[in-house]
Amino acid sequence: MSDNRVRTALHWLLGAWLVLVIAAAFFWAPAAAGFKGESSRIVFFHVPQAWVAVLAFCVNLIASLRYLRTRNPLDDARAAAAARLGLVFSLLATVTGSIFAHVMWNSFWNWDPREISIAILLLIYAAYFALREAVPDEERRASLSAAYAILAFVTMPFLVFVVPRIYWSLHPDTIIGATGKLKMQMDPRMLQTLFASLVGFTGLFFWLYTLDVRLARVRLARQAREEA
Amino acid sequence: MAAVSVEFTKVAKRFGTRTVLAAVSGALRPGSVLVVAGPNGAGKSTLLNLLAGVLRPSRGEVSHRRGGADLPRSEWCEHLGMASPDMAVYEELSALENLRFFGRLRGHATSDAAITSLLETLGLPSREQRRAVGTYSSGMKQRVKLAQAVLHEPAVLLLDEPSSNLDATGHDAVAGLVARFRPLAAVAVATNDPREIAWGDARLELAL
Amino acid sequence: MRASSLLSESLAVLGKELTSELRSRVALNAIGLFGITTLVVVAYQIGPYQIQEKDRPHLLSALLWVILFFAATSGLARVFVKEEDAHTAKTLRLAARPLAVFAGKYLFNLILLVALFTLIVPLYCALMGYEVRGLVGLVLVLAAGAVALAASSTIVAAIISRASGSTTLFAILSVPLVLPLLVMLIQGTRAAAGSVELAAVLPALQGIVSLGGALLIVSVFLFPVVWHE
Repeated sequence: MSDNRVRTALHWLLGAWLVLVIAAAFFWAPAAAGFKGESSRIVFFHVPQAWVAVLAFCVNLIASLRYLRTRNPLDDARAAAAARLGLVFSLLATVTGSIFAHVMWNSFWNWDPREISIAILLLIYAAYFALREAVPDEERRASLSAAYAILAFVTMPFLVFVVPRIYWSLHPDTIIGATGKLKMQMDPRMLQTLFASLVGFTGLFFWLYTLDVRLARVRLARQAREEA
Repeated sequence: MAAVSVEFTKVAKRFGTRTVLAAVSGALRPGSVLVVAGPNGAGKSTLLNLLAGVLRPSRGEVSHRRGGADLPRSEWCEHLGMASPDMAVYEELSALENLRFFGRLRGHATSDAAITSLLETLGLPSREQRRAVGTYSSGMKQRVKLAQAVLHEPAVLLLDEPSSNLDATGHDAVAGLVARFRPLAAVAVATNDPREIAWGDARLELAL
Repeated sequence: MRASSLLSESLAVLGKELTSELRSRVALNAIGLFGITTLVVVAYQIGPYQIQEKDRPHLLSALLWVILFFAATSGLARVFVKEEDAHTAKTLRLAARPLAVFAGKYLFNLILLVALFTLIVPLYCALMGYEVRGLVGLVLVLAAGAVALAASSTIVAAIISRASGSTTLFAILSVPLVLPLLVMLIQGTRAAAGSVELAAVLPALQGIVSLGGALLIVSVFLFPVVWHE
């Protein structure tokens, strides 16, 4: 029972935190200088979304590796849950990034290295689910998708670090340089809001993730009961 | 030929929500033939696949043992011979080339003369052996599949419906194979043919 | 211990692939036909003179890899798909060690890619008037590219053969894996075309070799999982 109470308290805390983050993003943090109008405010949502997409990728990798060792269907469910959220958040990050790019430079797509990496991440998630859809047998689906997740993870560092170094070295940096440092001068209040939002989105990710995993646990338990 | 036995305890297999095989136990021992019988869909082929290690049981355990010790998977494969309806040989290659290939994979040096005579005992005359398998009748293909299963003198022989597509002489050839392997190897035959059921020293009846 | 060496088993698998391919020629026809067709379309519609001088280095190297990659995609998935289709996969699974299967099939795909490259690249250079200054650099980039592409296509072919076996799925799964590779290959080819100096292709070459190596090593470890589930 007390476990449940802690959970409920955490949910309320998360809800309140995110409300505060949204309020701060629009009313407390100033709009950054050098950006069109209020457009810089999207950063408080865009950056955390991209972060969650990458975080989900890592959680998916760990769950996939664990599955191949344990062959526990729950680990497969964990991997799938992380990938589902990763798909949603990488889609959100791509769309918000695109909107921002349109406002700033009048073009939805600029072939910035960051844009490419998030788009590839989106493609990987889509491919991961295309593969899962194509395999009806549960065990086979689990091991094939785990193998693919690991394979995809191997190419990621090349995309994020190696390719931009070779390919875009002649191109001007857009907002974010290849080193990943934010180029815009950040007001302390902006920085605080951004970090609060990162924490909030991470919390949101883990809340949705545990929900999905708990659902899978219930499903598996029911399946085991039916068998017995 | 090494003495290898296969023990299975309470093995069950589920595909999705469908249970194909529920808690079956038994053993294959050198020098005896186990007949697996039961209606279509009772899980005969699934059981043989579980014993072969091609499938992983949803529950229960299959162990391959030699002299009281567990046999590692990499070694197990060289002691196993198997023929089943879902195992084909290469259609672009001739019977001879197929068997040479499988012999080489298993590290079992077999002369062409030995392959030819094995195929002949199974009822595939030597003049047919150099044609591509794709041009064979289904009965001839079945004979090549059986040859593939026994070429390396396996210690465990799993035969799933070995006489399918075979005529009376083919059936006799299979009976000859089982008789040849019975003294030393552990043999399992999945069948519903009354003549083949009679080969068994032990019988496992699977129900739907 | 097993009497046969891993090498002999891998070569047996490779030999089997080559013999069946020489008899059926399905993969060779698919790859060759696709490569030639796209090459002819590109050469006819774009040709050497349609492209502005300043765009030539960028466009010509990119077009070359578009042709090579899509031609390769049309045939490389077959190594594993055909085993499942012909029901020989289980026979092979029970007879050979996974590593020997992977090695044999990998080498076969590598040979197919080398054949494709030797056919298409000289023709492309001739038809498109593509002058390559650093020939050694180009050969190195192509070789490294073949090693890396063969690795990704072999493991992805193994994965899809256990799924639906469709070429569409092969492309869907391959694209995110090979995109960074293709970018580096295009870059390396452009560098080789523009300069005799080997140093010019070195950054791209390092990237291609390390990505290819990483893919190959991970594939070797993952293959038994995919092959046996």
